[in-house]
Amino acid sequence: MSTHAVATLHQQLRKSFRALADNQRAWNSVLAECAPLLGSLGNLAEQLRALDGVQIARTPLARFPDLRDRLRCKLLQAVDVVLAKLTEKTESLQTVRDAVHGLASAAFQWYEQNADLLDLATCTLRSAAAPSIAELLEWLQDADSYYRQQFLRRRNLLQMLRPDELSELESAANWWASIDSPDGDELISEMLFRVAVFVDSG
Amino acid sequence: MTSVGVMEKLNLKWLPCDRQDKDTQRCRMGAGLMASLNLRIGSPVLICTSGSACLCRAWPRSDLAEGYLQFDTKCSTQNFSSQTFKHVSFTPQHITPLKCPKLKILKVNVVVKSSVFKKRTAGPLICELVKEMLKHMYVYEKHVVNVSSLDTGIDFVLVENVNSGSTKAGLVTGKTTLDVGAVVTLKQHRSRVQESASTSLGGMEEVYASLKELLLLPLHYPSALKKLGITCPRGVLLIGPPGVGKTMLVRRVVKDIGATLITLNGPVVLGSRPGESEENLRKMFKEAQEASEEGPCVLLIDEIDSLCPKRAGSSSAPENRVVAQLLTLMDGIGTRGFFVTIGATNQPDTLDPAMRRPGRFDREVIIGVPTLTQRKSILTCLSEKMPLCKGLDLCALAEMTTGYVGADLSALCREAALQAIRNAPQEFGEKRIEMHHFHEALKRVQPSCLRSSIGLTDYRPVSWDKIGGLEDVKLKIKQSVEWPMKYPESFIRLGLSRPRGILLYGPPGCAKTTLVKAAATSSHCAFLSVSGADLFSPFVGDSEKALAQLFRQARACSPSIVFLDELDTILGSRGDRRAPHSVQSQLLSVLLNELDGVGLKTVERRGTGEKVCHTEGHIESQHDQKMQYQEVCNKDVMVVAASNRPDALDSALMRPGRLDIMIYVPPPDYESRLAVLQLCTENMPLHSDVCLKEIAIQTDRYSGADLENLCKEAALLTLQQESMEASVIHHKYFVQALQNMKPSLSAQQIDSYQNLFT
Repeated sequence: MSTHAVATLHQQLRKSFRALADNQRAWNSVLAECAPLLGSLGNLAEQLRALDGVQIARTPLARFPDLRDRLRCKLLQAVDVVLAKLTEKTESLQTVRDAVHGLASAAFQWYEQNADLLDLATCTLRSAAAPSIAELLEWLQDADSYYRQQFLRRRNLLQMLRPDELSELESAANWWASIDSPDGDELISEMLFRVAVFVDSG
Repeated sequence: MTSVGVMEKLNLKWLPCDRQDKDTQRCRMGAGLMASLNLRIGSPVLICTSGSACLCRAWPRSDLAEGYLQFDTKCSTQNFSSQTFKHVSFTPQHITPLKCPKLKILKVNVVVKSSVFKKRTAGPLICELVKEMLKHMYVYEKHVVNVSSLDTGIDFVLVENVNSGSTKAGLVTGKTTLDVGAVVTLKQHRSRVQESASTSLGGMEEVYASLKELLLLPLHYPSALKKLGITCPRGVLLIGPPGVGKTMLVRRVVKDIGATLITLNGPVVLGSRPGESEENLRKMFKEAQEASEEGPCVLLIDEIDSLCPKRAGSSSAPENRVVAQLLTLMDGIGTRGFFVTIGATNQPDTLDPAMRRPGRFDREVIIGVPTLTQRKSILTCLSEKMPLCKGLDLCALAEMTTGYVGADLSALCREAALQAIRNAPQEFGEKRIEMHHFHEALKRVQPSCLRSSIGLTDYRPVSWDKIGGLEDVKLKIKQSVEWPMKYPESFIRLGLSRPRGILLYGPPGCAKTTLVKAAATSSHCAFLSVSGADLFSPFVGDSEKALAQLFRQARACSPSIVFLDELDTILGSRGDRRAPHSVQSQLLSVLLNELDGVGLKTVERRGTGEKVCHTEGHIESQHDQKMQYQEVCNKDVMVVAASNRPDALDSALMRPGRLDIMIYVPPPDYESRLAVLQLCTENMPLHSDVCLKEIAIQTDRYSGADLENLCKEAALLTLQQESMEASVIHHKYFVQALQNMKPSLSAQQIDSYQNLFT
């Protein structure tokens, strides 16, 4: 009974880790697409600031009516477009997060339902080919919490942005980069290396 | 089963949490321990140590070692994360498995980093953020979830209750409804947590209530106040001698209503640059105003007399500017934001008069030196956490500590505890503080309102038995000094009041001073003794001031006895034509006023003010009632004067209401002389042929002092005529000494005393 349960759980975990690898790739690619968008957001903010600073009446452009307002409108529209794109990206980040959470919670739920069959000794048993069930569950959970945390912070950053706070718009790119946690990403990669043999053995 | 038994005795060594386990709520332990506690991977457990707890999820250690415990303190009680566990030995009993259902409703308070974040972020956004943070976490009632690592502007989430209180712990899921209560800044939160450790307050219930009402009025009834068209009182001036707990009272009130406290004190505000002090003042008021936008706020100006002295008296312009700035700031605070300014001082007379008008300090609260009942409640508060021995009578202690203020009492308790430690340092654990420790401490801690008083004397306690004879006089003194303290209820019942003053007169050397000492010893009154040397000074008006000051201090620590020895030399009589405007007659007028003046200064008010003795004691115990009676009965100062020239005293002093009781202390008669001789020779080795009765017969008109001298003389003669090794005193030496001495009193003198007031 117990061996059957272990085999089933192993099978499920294998599937989860394979999916996790795909999700990691997806996450990183979305992040890569976000970076230029934030850069342009910073540029737009700089332009808006410059617009505030310049005295158009003293330049040859003084002849154009409402130039300042028109330019501002244009720039703000551009900001809106970038923000909309970023929101789109956030949505795709969210799908990754949800997918990873689904994997982790499904595996854990299965364990909890069948916990009577899987005693602790079985769960902590590991071999050269396969890490223990406890470890596998732990790693999945770690991955889940890492993506949730990252997503929370990134979305919070975007939600806090306001078009009238130029300095914040300018520094948004830096903040975005500071959220990047190389350790966390490395953790996922390392985790995937560790389970590589286990995943391939199935 | 055996393995379970072994596991339960296992000592777990605490290790700091691994880096990868941070913020995961995991609690790492050995797989064997988990099995013995019947835990699965990820089961919620509560780790409790002395009064604090932490909610975790059990997880087997990756190295499978037993005997270690590591856990993450993301969700724990307030005091948990600040502890270190190096010295705490954990056992499996500390770990309790929990049942955590999925939560339907969760009520939390949120602590944010700054007020800027709070202002900028809308309520729903905070709610959504918090929900996202807590998702898939186990939470426990009244625990604090630390989310500062996420760096979102929210630092802590305080779990108020889960599932409306029906369960203690639970799992937050996507379907949980989150109810965000208060959003406070980190600063406010810290101040609240810090102050919760403060001690309780005794004997200040009424002042406390009125202060609290003042602060809460605009919070609770804003619309009613608007309708009535009135503004709330904005300033309170606390007046009281040092150490009565003015500052502590403010801190306590502020903590109880959850207000922000901003403290302002003189030295911090005053700067060296011109205009810097004013700028600092403005900054403090602005800070208070900003804080008041978030909730109730109190600006405490401690020792306000240093910051705001009388402008008329000082000539320095910078000081005047600071005062003027403070006055305008206090006026201008009504415009935006509402906060209460509380000033505390012990010298209200030195304040600028412009400060003490409605609109600035609307109310003046006087906190006097604690009365008997107040002292008792202070002592009860202070000794709450002290291991007192069972029979210890705090009432008796309160009676003994006349004139002690709160700070003195806490020093007294500390000293008593130190005594207890000193006596038995090894077995401190089960040591209890007993009455004799307090007696020891009483010797070391003097009441602070009597320090620097001219009248404070350190006298050797004398018991009534040490005075031979004079039974009538003793009884009379006991009646007027001791009885009002011991039987206040009888005095109240018969409408008796304590005499204001007692005059002891009689020939010199008849134990007048010793009688007063004995009276002071037997009643636990504060005893102030003053003589001409203390009072007279070369400066005009100084002596009068010193006497008035003496009475003020005596009143502050009543019941008290003021003893004026050799009254005739201090005062003299107004009828004396020789010096109509001498210092003596000025002192006399001061004394007459103090004894029977119109009233007291307002600043000298003590107690609650409305202490009326109602005879129907319902719930209160008999002892409490007695204490109240005693308070009513003994709130005055008693003057005891001694003189051997009562004829030289002013007649105005002698009338009832001033020195109402005159006691003639006669020279000792035969029985008294015998008693005196017995007392004097108590420590002398007398030969069996000594007949004290015979000596007593022969010593007519000898005073007590003469008799003492006689005994000394006889002993000296023994040494002189026998040898230095003499061991007993023979009768013949007494006879010899008698021959050399003359009585110091004459029959004529005694007659004149006896006929003086008849």
